[in-house]
Formats: sequence, structure tokens, C-alpha cells
Amino acid sequence: MSRQAGRGTESKKMNSELFTLTYGALVTQLCKDYENDEDVNKQLDKMGYNIGVRLIEDFLARSNVGRCHDFRETADVISKIAFKMYLGITPSITNWSPGGDEFSLILENNPLVDFVELPDNHSSLIYSNLLCGVLRGALEMVQMAVDVKFVQDTLKGDSVTEIRMKFIRRIEDNLPAGEE
Amino acid sequence: MAVCIAVIAKENYPLYIRSIPTENELKFHYTVHTSLDVVDEKISAMGKALVDQRELYLGLLYPTEDYKVYGYVTNSKVKFVMVVDSSNTALRDNEIRSMFRKLHNSYTDIMCNPFYNPGDRIQSRAFDNMVNSMMVQVC
Repeated sequence: MSRQAGRGTESKKMNSELFTLTYGALVTQLCKDYENDEDVNKQLDKMGYNIGVRLIEDFLARSNVGRCHDFRETADVISKIAFKMYLGITPSITNWSPGGDEFSLILENNPLVDFVELPDNHSSLIYSNLLCGVLRGALEMVQMAVDVKFVQDTLKGDSVTEIRMKFIRRIEDNLPAGEE
Repeated sequence: MAVCIAVIAKENYPLYIRSIPTENELKFHYTVHTSLDVVDEKISAMGKALVDQRELYLGLLYPTEDYKVYGYVTNSKVKFVMVVDSSNTALRDNEIRSMFRKLHNSYTDIMCNPFYNPGDRIQSRAFDNMVNSMMVQVC
């Protein structure tokens, strides 16, 4: 207990520029390796997925949240606790669908894209696609299958970054399918 | 306030040149090119102690009857050259220094863009906007 309390968010401060530059180097290297924006997007999603399935354990241990009763609670936890803990930002939640199974996360500023300007030859690249994979992987480990995608992106000229999350179904079998 | 701003790489080729008005562009290119000699002279004259902010700013490189040329060199030997109109006497040293500092900050932002390869021509909208804001007052 005391170990968990001591391991607050201030114990491992890192320079955010180093993080941004590291992510940028990762994306540009993938672009050079694959040369096709769609492949890069898929790879980023896969990498994010692998991060997500591991990150969820750390998140649950540090935040001590209980089981969410519905998707709205999940949305709140993601935006107010998870994003705050890992990226230091709190996106807002809007655009709930009438059935309550889809919502949008609006990020005013995305720390992954500081200083980044997309060149013209990579217009279909979803630069922060890693985040989609992370959310998908993490939620799959708590038995929720979701579909996550970017709807708006500041790198492409929109005013905010918007991530749309759609709840697909609850996963009943406890063993997740083999991952790539 | 400035009529021409140029960013020159360490190997002395231009990374970015923008001038107003655009008809006389070639003249400004020549001016910047000849000012590079003066820059090199000042750098070699200063010796090894180049860590201070004060020594990054080179000051007035040379005046002509129409305009004055100012220079600034970074520790990585990237040079910024600014040509201002001589008739604009209200421009003080402090203002030139702050303009160079803004240029330097924008330049570091560009370097942080993962898609930018050091040594390429600068093609950034943010940098263009910042340079435009420094030049627009002349017109």
C-alpha cells in the first residue's frame, strides 16, 4: 500500500520533449521502412495494442478504480484518470450516440504532436494512431471490445483532435485471442 | 521591419530565403551571399568563447545606402541574416536581437519536427507565418 501511494505520478518525471522526439523518430522510421501510409497506420495500431494490453495492468494497480458498470463510467475513467496519468492531459467527452455506445474524446492539445508538421507526401498518415491501439488493447484486457479511430486531427488542419470510441461487445471468454 | 530574412546552413548554402518586395529577390540573394564573408570574418575573430548569448548576435554586418545587414550565428554554425531598410531608423538594437531570438526559437521548433531532415530546405507553415509577421510591417 505504501509503495503504491509513493509511486504517484510525480515519481517518474521525464522531459516531455524527449518523449515527443522519441515518438517522432519512431513514426518517421516506420515511414521509411514501409513507404506506404496505410501500412504505417496498421503498424502503429499493432504497437499501440501491445502497449495497451500491458499498460492496463499498471493503470489498474496505480489508480485503484473498481469495475466500471457501464460505458459512460469507462469513458470518464479513460479521460479523467488514464489520460491524465500517462499524458498529463484531460480530454473532454462529447457526442454520445443515442444508444450510449459511442462517444468522442476531444483533445485540445496532443503532446505527441508538439512541433510536428505533416509533409504533403504523407497526407493519409494517422500520426497518433498508437493511441488508438493503446485504448483498444487496454479495454480488451478488461473484456470490452471497442473500435477506436481518429475523426479529426490537428496535424491535418482541424482545430482539435477527436477520437471516436465505439463499444462493440463484451468479451465473454477470458482468454484473449493470440495477438500478433 | 525586415525586408529580407535568410537562414544559411553550416555549409553555407541557404535553407530559407524570403524577401519583400519579391521583384528584387535576386539582389537580396547576392546581398546575403556577400554578407556571409563578413559573418565568417566575425566568427573567426571571436575565437573559442562562443557560449554567451551576446556572442551569438553578430550585430551590424555592413551598411549600404539602402539597407543594413545584421547577422546571428548559432552554436551549430547555422547563420541567420536579416536585411532591414535603412530608412527605418526607429529600429533599435534590442528589437533586432529579439527578432533573431524569435527566429532562433522557430528554427529549433522546426528541428524538432521528426519529418524534417537537417540540411533540407525549410518548408514549414509555422516558420513562414513567423517570418511574415516580422516582415509585414514594411509594406
